Amino acid sequence: MTSDLAVLTEDLTKFYGDHRGLEGLNLEVGAGEVMGFLGPNGAGKTTTIRLLLDFLRPTQGRATVLGLDPRRDKAALHRQIGYLPGELAFPGRDTAADLLRFFGDARGGVAWSRVTELAGRLEVDLSRPVRAMSKGNKQKVGLIQAFMHQPALLILDEPTSGLDPLMQQEFLGMVRDARSAGQTVFMSSHVLAEVQQVADRVAIVRAGRLAAVERVESLGRRAVRAVEIHFHDPVDPRAFSALPGVSDVVVSGPVLRCTVDGRLDALIKAAARHEVVDLLSAEPDLEETFLSFYYHSEGADDASRARP
Amino acid sequence: MLPALVRKTWRDDRRALLGWTVGLAAFTGIYTSFYPQFQGAAQLKQDALPKGMLDFLGIADMLSPTGYLQATIFSLIGPLLVLMGAITLTARTIARPEEDGGMELLLASPVSRLAFAGQRLAATGTAVTVIAAVPWLLLMVIVPAIGIDVALSNVAAAGAGLVALAWCFTGVAFLAGAATGRRTTVLAVTGALAVATYMANAIGGMVDGWHWLRWLSPFHYFIGTDPLNTGWHPAALLTLVAVGAVTTLAGLILFDRRDIGV
Repeated sequence: MTSDLAVLTEDLTKFYGDHRGLEGLNLEVGAGEVMGFLGPNGAGKTTTIRLLLDFLRPTQGRATVLGLDPRRDKAALHRQIGYLPGELAFPGRDTAADLLRFFGDARGGVAWSRVTELAGRLEVDLSRPVRAMSKGNKQKVGLIQAFMHQPALLILDEPTSGLDPLMQQEFLGMVRDARSAGQTVFMSSHVLAEVQQVADRVAIVRAGRLAAVERVESLGRRAVRAVEIHFHDPVDPRAFSALPGVSDVVVSGPVLRCTVDGRLDALIKAAARHEVVDLLSAEPDLEETFLSFYYHSEGADDASRARP
Repeated sequence: MLPALVRKTWRDDRRALLGWTVGLAAFTGIYTSFYPQFQGAAQLKQDALPKGMLDFLGIADMLSPTGYLQATIFSLIGPLLVLMGAITLTARTIARPEEDGGMELLLASPVSRLAFAGQRLAATGTAVTVIAAVPWLLLMVIVPAIGIDVALSNVAAAGAGLVALAWCFTGVAFLAGAATGRRTTVLAVTGALAVATYMANAIGGMVDGWHWLRWLSPFHYFIGTDPLNTGWHPAALLTLVAVGAVTTLAGLILFDRRDIGV
């Protein structure tokens, strides 16, 4: 049953004293799948990941990873996992190269060419001490150690934090390559856009509970974005507020601001009747718009209970 | 080949290990090498300090060769330095990486929790043993070289006692770190215990009716048997080793059961 599942959690629950970290998580990640794990800060993403790695023990429920028990089979399991912590801190004062040699040795040997290839790809100089590196470069070293032994399952907690946009793209390329190689990727994020680019499915947690699991294709249609259009002349808001999917229309002189749920087509066609100077379309802020979509209807008071 | 985690632990601890080794070597070497010149000063010290103070400091007499070695190396400063080194190094096995976050990547090594803690402690235990053995090894050379009139077998017994004492407190420090993951807890608990048991041994030796108190103190099993004069006391040394072993075992069990990095 579990052979085709990389991760299976059943009623996985973690309380820290009275404080709820995660409650009743039922999640399946298929082998070979890239799953994004989304949610605002404090939603339980890192708690979930640390439960899967057996750093935390569940209060209730259980997790099965690669068909193994995280606690009983820790040694065998961790050999097949590449883990990038969300709060990255490296032990010791080693150079990046020495540190990566340690990680390689600890996992039973990794071809050094694999490390240099990743380092080249992410453009990081391994001869420098990790402690002296910038946050972005540390993140790159963290990514290299997670990918270097080509693990069956990559568990990445906020993998793109600290990376510049170019390197974020490079990282997404690495994830695509991992999927092509049959590896499973479970990555947390609070940025919808980056997950959307590579993930097959997205799981959304909020306030310690699973809010939704969606295929990425269906997410795209739902994505709410803020659009700002600068016209040459003042426009009439009524021409826009009636359009399908368009709401919160505010017009001040020649500038129109609104939010669009789904496709932009109707808005663009309406705007095209005027002379357009500029158009800005911002990625939706996950925490404010996307998640609120899931939570307007159910349990809006959950958030207030989550952190007493 | 040794496990990668053991080698990594040594590499990360090498500065501390080197520092403590050099410090203890300097301390041992300087004090004992000037034995002939110190004789006059020792007489003065002996006369200047009241008997009660000498007893509290564990100094029987500073004039005999054994008394001199005991007063300088084995009574207070030697154990103090060794234990400080042992406790701070042991705080690095679990508590420090857990607090600074380096634990996440260390613990992701493909070994069981028990093996992880065991390998960390094995590496640190070796380092602690090296530090604690410095006075022993140096004295085996210095004592005959400058003609301090103490049987080498007795020097070895006292030196081994210092190693056993270090193991005892390493076990306690490991237990505190493995159970709580907090560096300050390790330093505070183990440090306070070292001071309290040192006092217990000193007071137990001085005050009538409080003799029993000494039996609770590791320092009694280390130096209360007077190894420089009477040689080896295997039962006392094994008692120290046993305390270290039991606390280590308890630490391993507790570490295997708890949440990490909460």
